[in-house]
Amino acid sequence: MTQTEILAKMQTVFDDVFLDDVKVTPELSADDVEEWDSLLQISLVLGVEKTFNVRFRVGEVEATKNLGEFADLIQRRMSEGAKA
Amino acid sequence: MSSEAVVQPPSAKAGLEDVRELLAQRSPEIWSALRAATRAASDFSEVMALATLRKKAQRAGIPGGVDRTFRLAMVGGSSLYPLHELVQQMVGAGSSTAWWDTELWKGDYDNYISEILDPESELYAFKPDVILLIPSSQRCAYHGPMTDPQELQRAEATKTAADLLDLCRVVHERSGAEVILANFLPAADFDPGPFRVRTLGSNWSFRKLVNLELGLNAPSYLHICDAEFLATRRGAASCYDPRAWFETKQLYSSDFSVEIAREVAGIVTSLHRSSKKVLALDLDNTLWGGVIGDDGMTGIEIGGTHPRGEAFKQFQLAIASLAQRGIILAVCSKNDYKNAAEPFEKHPEMILRLKDIASFQANWEPKSENLRRIAQELNLGLDSIVFVDDNPAEIEIVKQFVPEIETIWLGPDPAEYASQLLNCRLFEPRSITGDDLKRGEQYQQQAARTQAMNAGTDMEAYLASLEMHSVISEFTPVDIPRISQLINKSNQFNVTTRRRSEAEVEELLTNKDHYGFSVRLADKFGDNGLISVVIVKVEGQTAIVDTWLMSCRVLKRQMEDEVVNEMVRLAIERGCTSVIGQYLPTEKNGMVRDLFPRMGFALVEETAERASYQLPIQDFVPRKTHIQIDRRAYDAN
Repeated sequence: MTQTEILAKMQTVFDDVFLDDVKVTPELSADDVEEWDSLLQISLVLGVEKTFNVRFRVGEVEATKNLGEFADLIQRRMSEGAKA
Repeated sequence: MSSEAVVQPPSAKAGLEDVRELLAQRSPEIWSALRAATRAASDFSEVMALATLRKKAQRAGIPGGVDRTFRLAMVGGSSLYPLHELVQQMVGAGSSTAWWDTELWKGDYDNYISEILDPESELYAFKPDVILLIPSSQRCAYHGPMTDPQELQRAEATKTAADLLDLCRVVHERSGAEVILANFLPAADFDPGPFRVRTLGSNWSFRKLVNLELGLNAPSYLHICDAEFLATRRGAASCYDPRAWFETKQLYSSDFSVEIAREVAGIVTSLHRSSKKVLALDLDNTLWGGVIGDDGMTGIEIGGTHPRGEAFKQFQLAIASLAQRGIILAVCSKNDYKNAAEPFEKHPEMILRLKDIASFQANWEPKSENLRRIAQELNLGLDSIVFVDDNPAEIEIVKQFVPEIETIWLGPDPAEYASQLLNCRLFEPRSITGDDLKRGEQYQQQAARTQAMNAGTDMEAYLASLEMHSVISEFTPVDIPRISQLINKSNQFNVTTRRRSEAEVEELLTNKDHYGFSVRLADKFGDNGLISVVIVKVEGQTAIVDTWLMSCRVLKRQMEDEVVNEMVRLAIERGCTSVIGQYLPTEKNGMVRDLFPRMGFALVEETAERASYQLPIQDFVPRKTHIQIDRRAYDAN
């Protein structure tokens, strides 16, 4: 999956979690969306894990700076899952 | 009678997609779809997505929402987000007609002890109806070596439980709220190996003992959210997620938190909803294998000679265990009565006998009609009945024609019947009272009385022959659980349908502006237990009937007349000159529409929402009955 494809699929997770419409872009981060607090982040990460069938390690999602980096992390974890 | 062709789920479940579509259409149907989808959901992300859709529906102002609001405070040793979202969603789905809203107050992470001990804390300012306390597992461990003497370890476990119960008592006394306490998760790590069961010092044994102590010593205002049981049932290792603890201080893994939320919501809503009272059973391929009309006594499968027979017998044993706890049994079957009754009378392997069945409807009328008849015969509301059948078509008909009745479709495999019944969660008592245990017997006596009445035609003679005795008492602490149970579940004979929590009823024990009494009634057929509750508010020289409810099984026994006699007697003692009665109509209390006028009250005012009646005391002559009053309220003797 390319970053673009991953971001497109992430949009469905965002639609389930946010009350307002939030357009997923590689540059987007929590600072850009008022509704996006640390609590909403929990639902978001769990939604992503379920949608992409991946599991992140402790602290690593927090370390990503924007959705582009988050998508790259998803990609790494997916390819890892495929090898296993 | 091949069943293969008709076996299918009775109706399609509403899912996330349906809710999405209804939101797009801004349809009021969304609320029932949200309820169904939320009840069925088990996955964290699914429940959260449903919560988001609910908020969008509320924001869009789609009509048909909120019909009741709970005030819930959550405190604990872990982060309460996103658990509170899940609880809120589950409570909402507890409504049967709209949506139940939750006003929430959340304590700070691991700050519950000071929040409870400080009388000035925001927790108390919030004035919650219900408080949920989730202590963290870290606080439940034995700190010494596992080889310490057992008495030391036991004493520590007892103290851990006692301290928590003490906190619950304080928070209850200061807030008047009902309290829900989540007990501790089982310790699911293998370490220290099988030695864990040989000591109370291992987390495994220590937590089990603390949980036991909590449950066995919980007072009636305290409801245990049994996390230990739920985790055991699910698999304890999957209930805790260390990453979630480190990152965001979640005590439970995400999917397990859905189960906890469902349980908490179940407790919150059960405080304000009645449980089911009647189990109405199909016969052929439900209580036994085969069709009695075709296969006959020797052909049906029941009992221990054959695996299918054993499965049906196990199902009957499960039914009998509910009956023993006070659930009333009824039969609703398409059969000739003679055929249907024969196994109950003569089959040696049958567990259930005719005497166990309070209402037996076997004929060729539609089952929906027979279920109505059962409700009439037992004098209970349709919504107190659960109907069980192996045939999805019958289930569908009942759902359509009597939607008030809850149904269980047993499916094609009798091996699953018993566990389906034991896991349906429809017959769970909130707190078992002594009266509950006797209720089943009482309904059978009721049936005997009805027959006595049918036999004789003279009502007065019949009432005299019953040899009724009654004890009327002011509210006492020991009666509080039963009184609040009646207040929260009586729908039919209930003039105002005002609900009160156990804590609110308790408050009446010392309230000077109110008097209240409960009534017990016994007759030659047996003891009916505590069957009526009255609460009266005194305002100057006027006594206003705040609550008057009665169990329908003592209708037409002149108990109403004796209740009025007592109401007036106590009003006179308090210097009143008149009694005011109010009737607040609901869908279910039509039977008391004319209660006050029948008792000699005069209509003062009538609107769609209420009718007010007055009884001047000076002309009052106590009403004559066939009931012997053995004791009266506030009477030292």
